[in-house]
Amino acid sequence: MNEWTNTGREPDPLPSSLPGPTAPGLGEPQAEVEETLKRIQSHKGVIGTMVVNAEGIPIRTTLDNSTTVQYAGLLHHLTMKAKSTVRDIDPQNDLTFLRIRSKKHEIMVAPDKEYLLIVIQNPCE
Amino acid sequence: MATRAQPGPLSQAGSAGVAALATVGVASGPGPGRPGPLQDETLGVASVPSQWRAVQGIRWETKSCQTASIATASASAQARNHVDAQVQTEAPVPVSVQPPSQYDIPRLAAFLRRVEAMVIRELNKNWQSHAFDGFEVNWTEQQQMVSCLYTLGYPPAQAQGLHVTSISWNSTGSVVACAYGRLDHGDWSTLKSFVCAWNLDRRDLRPQQPSAVVEVPSAVLCLAFHPTQPSHVAGLYSGEVLVWDLSRLEDPLLWRTGLTDDTHTDPVSQVVWLPEPGHSHRFQVLSVATDGKVLLWQGIGVGQLQLTEGFALVMQQLPRSTKLKKHPRGETEVGATAVAFSSFDPRLFILGTEGGFPLKCSLAAGEAALTRMPSSVPLRAPAQFTFSPHGGPIYSVSCSPFHRNLFLSAGTDGHVHLYSMLQAPPLTSLQLSLKYLFAVRWSPVRPLVFAAASGKGDVQLFDLQKSSQKPTVLIKQTQDESPVYCLEFNSQQTQLLAAGDAQGTVKVWQLSTEFTEQGPREAEDLDCLAAEVAA
Repeated sequence: MNEWTNTGREPDPLPSSLPGPTAPGLGEPQAEVEETLKRIQSHKGVIGTMVVNAEGIPIRTTLDNSTTVQYAGLLHHLTMKAKSTVRDIDPQNDLTFLRIRSKKHEIMVAPDKEYLLIVIQNPCE
Repeated sequence: MATRAQPGPLSQAGSAGVAALATVGVASGPGPGRPGPLQDETLGVASVPSQWRAVQGIRWETKSCQTASIATASASAQARNHVDAQVQTEAPVPVSVQPPSQYDIPRLAAFLRRVEAMVIRELNKNWQSHAFDGFEVNWTEQQQMVSCLYTLGYPPAQAQGLHVTSISWNSTGSVVACAYGRLDHGDWSTLKSFVCAWNLDRRDLRPQQPSAVVEVPSAVLCLAFHPTQPSHVAGLYSGEVLVWDLSRLEDPLLWRTGLTDDTHTDPVSQVVWLPEPGHSHRFQVLSVATDGKVLLWQGIGVGQLQLTEGFALVMQQLPRSTKLKKHPRGETEVGATAVAFSSFDPRLFILGTEGGFPLKCSLAAGEAALTRMPSSVPLRAPAQFTFSPHGGPIYSVSCSPFHRNLFLSAGTDGHVHLYSMLQAPPLTSLQLSLKYLFAVRWSPVRPLVFAAASGKGDVQLFDLQKSSQKPTVLIKQTQDESPVYCLEFNSQQTQLLAAGDAQGTVKVWQLSTEFTEQGPREAEDLDCLAAEVAA
């Protein structure tokens, strides 16, 4: 069993190439990521989920490659444009969430400094 | 003239001179020292001085003029620098999803922790929201009626009484080609016929003058444009398969099968372009004929189509999923009259037969066919499942582009059957007309819409969402009820529908917006339809 002292700060990540536990108390980040995405994906009506990094490159996805790349590129641009629109109107304001409703489904984008979470849902009509 | 002007002085001078002359003459009368009469004498010269010339002296001055000197300058110009540039589209390279590096995973986890609650909340709200019920936005101008855009025909073919047997749109959706032939009498081989193509995007489109005409020595029964090349057409006539390139004006024929042992012995009913299994940008031609053979051709070398794979339908080898009425002895071939490939599985296809039963077949079938037809390639039996028959031969089948199991078939009994590939009896059967039905096609944009061409001269558009009993729109194509033989939707310009009839005209119809825009949840409705009737 590992012993760990309460230093009051998060432990450093391991330098090894294999994913491994950083601290038993927090759980594996890898598993946490997977679980969170699975929870979102299994929600009612969700067609696809993907995580895109700050450059618009998809990192995690549940859809096929070509669709993912298309969504990632287009929504990254749109999110940047929406964010700058909100900031231009009021510099104290900032974008928190973006929803696009189309005939067939709804696309939701949760933006952040480093990542974008994109969820596509088919809402009940 | 001057003498007249001044007669005065001159006459005085003249008379004085004359008087002097006369005096000299008189003075030389007879006298001493003077010669006698009739003797020669020389007299002095008399001169008459001019008066006017002394009075008026001639005055002259010299003047000269010259044009000013012409200013000239020479300059030369020449374009010397040029730059070559080439542009080429490349096939798209598939981009892959990048897995995150080891360093990023904790930050990714932190991000997901931050946003998860918000996203789940929005998903829940959306699921229960009625905010958008009945809310529809129209982006394009709404077209309410179905109207005929063009009426195209080729007068020499119409003069011969030829019918339009097949229509095809090209890959860009701008050119419609039609094949002329006759569908009602059996003498195929001596009839000279045509394949005509009209480019609808050209400004100088003349409906009676096609932009490309190919003369064919026999009737053409079927036509299909190449899926990516905008100008290659494969047509079939009396057993042979020909491929033309319509952009070449002098000799459009690219490939032909020739009349070998391999070619069909009966008229070919349909031809389809298929991507090659290994190289998806090269295509093969599949031909289906009433002699029971399904052949796959490859264009090789110069001008020759070679057989790569072949299938033969034999009555004995048909799967006994349904009870067929006749059980003939011997190896009878089953004539195939129509073929449709599934959009979801490229090796699966549906054949419509002369016996009225559709067959589910696969290109990957391995069993050898029990047939004595000679062939250079071993023939295989493709049939995997037999569906319940129609009341007569099937003329057209079409697989749904939105649902992997549904397909339509239409035949001479005037009924359209909607089949699911999972069961033999049809899901529904609609009687559209008391006469034959020659063509049926699913709409490429609306999952619940299909069109059928009937022998009564009309094109019926069915919307299964609105009514499953009667057609939503009935378009009358011919005035004298001569049959409409073929119809095709344009998959690029989705509001266009082309239909060809027995009078040799092709009419291009513009559909109203309700047929071109998908409503919400149509694909789900199609799934429900497939599931509810099957249960």
